[in-house]
Amino acid sequence: MRYGMVIDLKKCIGCYACAVACKAENATPPDVLWCRVIKQESGTYPLVRRISVPLQCMHCGKPACLPVCPTGATYKRADGIVDIDRDKCVGCRACMMACPYQARFFQEGNETYFPGGVTPYEARGYGRHQAGTVSKCNFCLPRLEQGLEPACVANCIARARIFGDLDDPQSEVSRTIRERGGGQLYAELGTDPSIYYLPA
Amino acid sequence: MITFTPPSASLLGDLQLRYRPQRQWGQGRGALLVLAHFLSGVGAGAWLAGSATGDFAAMVTGWSLVAVGGLAHLLFLGRWSRFWRMVARPQSSWISRGLLGMSLFLVTGAAYLALAMLGDASLSAAGPLWWLSVLGAAWVLLYKGFVWASSKGIPFWNTPLLPPLYIAYGVRGGLAVVLLVTLATVPASQLAAIETVKLWLGVSAALLVLIYLAVVRGTGLTAAESVHMLLSGSAAGVFYAGVVVLGLLVPLGVGIYALWALIGGPLVSVAAVASLLGDLALIYGVARAGLYRPLPF
Repeated sequence: MRYGMVIDLKKCIGCYACAVACKAENATPPDVLWCRVIKQESGTYPLVRRISVPLQCMHCGKPACLPVCPTGATYKRADGIVDIDRDKCVGCRACMMACPYQARFFQEGNETYFPGGVTPYEARGYGRHQAGTVSKCNFCLPRLEQGLEPACVANCIARARIFGDLDDPQSEVSRTIRERGGGQLYAELGTDPSIYYLPA
Repeated sequence: MITFTPPSASLLGDLQLRYRPQRQWGQGRGALLVLAHFLSGVGAGAWLAGSATGDFAAMVTGWSLVAVGGLAHLLFLGRWSRFWRMVARPQSSWISRGLLGMSLFLVTGAAYLALAMLGDASLSAAGPLWWLSVLGAAWVLLYKGFVWASSKGIPFWNTPLLPPLYIAYGVRGGLAVVLLVTLATVPASQLAAIETVKLWLGVSAALLVLIYLAVVRGTGLTAAESVHMLLSGSAAGVFYAGVVVLGLLVPLGVGIYALWALIGGPLVSVAAVASLLGDLALIYGVARAGLYRPLPF
């Protein structure tokens, strides 16, 4: 069993629904962006092109962040998800320097989005985060445990994301990679990401 | 108490850049990490140099510098009260290895100094303690470069050339501390001899910096951009004023002068302080020029 994802860059319209859904689901504080979308422009007028690229933790098969973590806070589960034990993280940020995908974020303090203190929603969600530690996407583990897809997948209005088991050759995610030629980011670094991108 | 703070403009701005600068190791509280690596490197170098020359004052200073460096390490952490957890992964993490080495040095070094202060340095325990402290100090000198070099996301640091550079700078800084500490007691002829050793170390360090920048520049676009940032970008002031002028030209000038003439304490102290500032500038400059690998689209 190895959880993975395919993101179809041809279908992605760059609406940020995944990023907002991630924020809403995980109640991440300001400056902590587990899921984000970058816009890339290329070419010169009139031959220009713009693509949107959703980014998050790649849940690598051989994560660069794991060996540098001195406390063992970063660990890899049997289902392939790379997670952080927030009670073990000391906030040394070595994992942030090691990750080639810029997928990890350090929470400096207990900042909130709105003036006038914590909203009831934030008060409920912020208990899941600790100031002074590093955090990142965990494929919405609590949702997975309920049999649901990650929030970014469930809320993608263009159905650009497919989530499933990479080890199962019959899963939709495996078939899509095989048939449409999905590629990994920085495959040459040997990190073996679990997120594949289909060409735009 | 939770207070309202708007999202950091720097992070959101940085994420739009092709080459996103790392800010966690070097800016804000991250400056403590740079200071910690500088102090622990120079302190370990001073302990080794003091041990080699039998200079007790230099050893005390070296131990104190490593201890303050260790404290700066702790203050840098987001959750310093959990620091003891950092020994959990010595099989792969250079931070774990470094903490173990630093702990070995601080404990055995303190025990040796205590024995020596009590006048019992000739006891049978003193020999092993001294050897263990030297081993610990060498380890402290060694590990720091590897912590930076194991950062796969920052191509400028992700090179085996960084550890030897940091070792050379640590030894050089240690000698500078020895010079400063022994200034009052050492005769001018001996000062010149130490200054000559420092001259050669300075030349070696300059060569290492040149080799490092030249080699790293050829390893990829991101590393080349980092070198550009260091040589003619936003980190150029630190590099030229700190690393080149204070760290290399001033000590080299004094060292060359010492080849022909007896030099006095004030001149030596100027060279030593300049050299130390140059060491600090190098670590800060390298941290400042760290850029994340851009996302390949």
